[in-house]
Amino acid sequence: MDTSSALSLALPIGLGLAAIGSGIGLNGAIGKAMEAIGRQPEATGKIQTAMIIGAALIEALTIYAFVTVFLLMGKIQ
Amino acid sequence: MLFPTLIERLGAVRLLSEPAHEAAHAAADTAHAALGVAHEAAHDGGHAAHELPSLIGLIARSMSDGPAKSFLLEWEGMIYALAIAALIIFIAQLAARNPKMIPGRFQNVVEMVVEGVSNFIMGILGPEGKRFLPFLGSLFVYILAMNLSGVVPLGKSPTASLNTTIALALCVFVYVHFIALTRNGPVGYFKHLAGNPKSGVEWAFAPLMFVIHTIGEISRPVSLSLRLFGNVTGEDVLLFAFCSLGVTTLAAVGSPVGIPFQVPFILLAFLTSFIQALVFTLLSTIYILLWLPHEEHAEAHH
Repeated sequence: MDTSSALSLALPIGLGLAAIGSGIGLNGAIGKAMEAIGRQPEATGKIQTAMIIGAALIEALTIYAFVTVFLLMGKIQ
Repeated sequence: MLFPTLIERLGAVRLLSEPAHEAAHAAADTAHAALGVAHEAAHDGGHAAHELPSLIGLIARSMSDGPAKSFLLEWEGMIYALAIAALIIFIAQLAARNPKMIPGRFQNVVEMVVEGVSNFIMGILGPEGKRFLPFLGSLFVYILAMNLSGVVPLGKSPTASLNTTIALALCVFVYVHFIALTRNGPVGYFKHLAGNPKSGVEWAFAPLMFVIHTIGEISRPVSLSLRLFGNVTGEDVLLFAFCSLGVTTLAAVGSPVGIPFQVPFILLAFLTSFIQALVFTLLSTIYILLWLPHEEHAEAHH
C-alpha cells in the first residue's frame, strides 16, 4: 500500500475515532451539568460557564485531529 | 443569549483549568503540526481551494500573474482583518462621539453589547476586572466579527488562517504574563510557577511543579490558537461543501443556480462563531484570573 492510499484510508478513520472520544467526554460533562442545573437551578450561571470551558477543552482534542488531517491531506496525490 | 445567566462569579472554574489539565500532552505534537500547516500555507500562497470565494481572491484571480496578484493572495486574510478592525473602530467612534442621555436606537445597540461583555467579564474577575476590560472586550468583539465575516457573501474569515489565530493567542500570552509579572513581582511570579510552596514537602516538589506549570503555560497559546483555527476552518469548509453539493445537484439540468443546502449550516455557523469568540475570551479571562495574587480571598471573609 502506498502512502496516499494509506493516508486516505487512515485520516477519516482517525478523525472519526477522535470524534468518538470527544463524544464520550461531552456526554459525561454535559450530562452531569444538566443534572446539576436540574438539581440547583439558581446555580445555572456558574455551572454553564464551567461547562462551556470543559466542553471547549474536550472538543479541542478533536480539533487537534482535524488539524492533523488538514496537514496530511496535502500528501494525498 | 448566554450573557445574563453567565454573570455570576465562578469557583468551579479554577478547578477545571488547572494548568496540568491544559492538554499539556498535546503541546509537542500540535506545535509541530502548527509549524507544518503554516509552512504549507506559505507554499500554497493562500490558494485555498476548499473555501467559498472571497472578494479579494476573485480580484486577484482576475489579474494577470505578477507581484500584485501574489501579494493579494498572500495577504488576503490580513486585508480582511484590517478592514474588520477599521469597521469596528469606525462604529465605536460613531457611537461614542456624542453620547445622549436618552440613547437612540444605534447607541442603544452598542451600549447593550458593551454592557453585556462588561457584565460577563466583571462577573468572573470581580470589580478588579475593569482594568482588563478594554483588552478582553475588544478581543471578543474583534474575534466575533472575524468569525462572522466567513458567513457574509464574498467575505472570508481571517481566523480561518493559523497566522491570525497564533497572533491573537500570542497577544493574550504576552498580556497575561505582563500582568503576572507586574502584579506578583519577579519573586512571586516564579513562586507561583513553582506552585506557591509552603511546607517542606511542597518545597521538595517545587522543581517538578515548576516544569509542569511551565509546560502548561506554553501549551495555552497553542491550544487557544488551534481551537479557534480548527473550528472556524471546519465551519467554512462545511459551508463550501454544502454549497458545492447544491450547485452540482442542479448542474445536470443546466440550472444557473443551485439548491441552497447550506442555509441550515449558516445558522450553525452563527452559533459556532459566537461560542468560539466567547470561549477564547473566557479562557483569556481565566488565565488572567489564575495569575492574580490571591489576597482577595482573605479580604472576602470580613
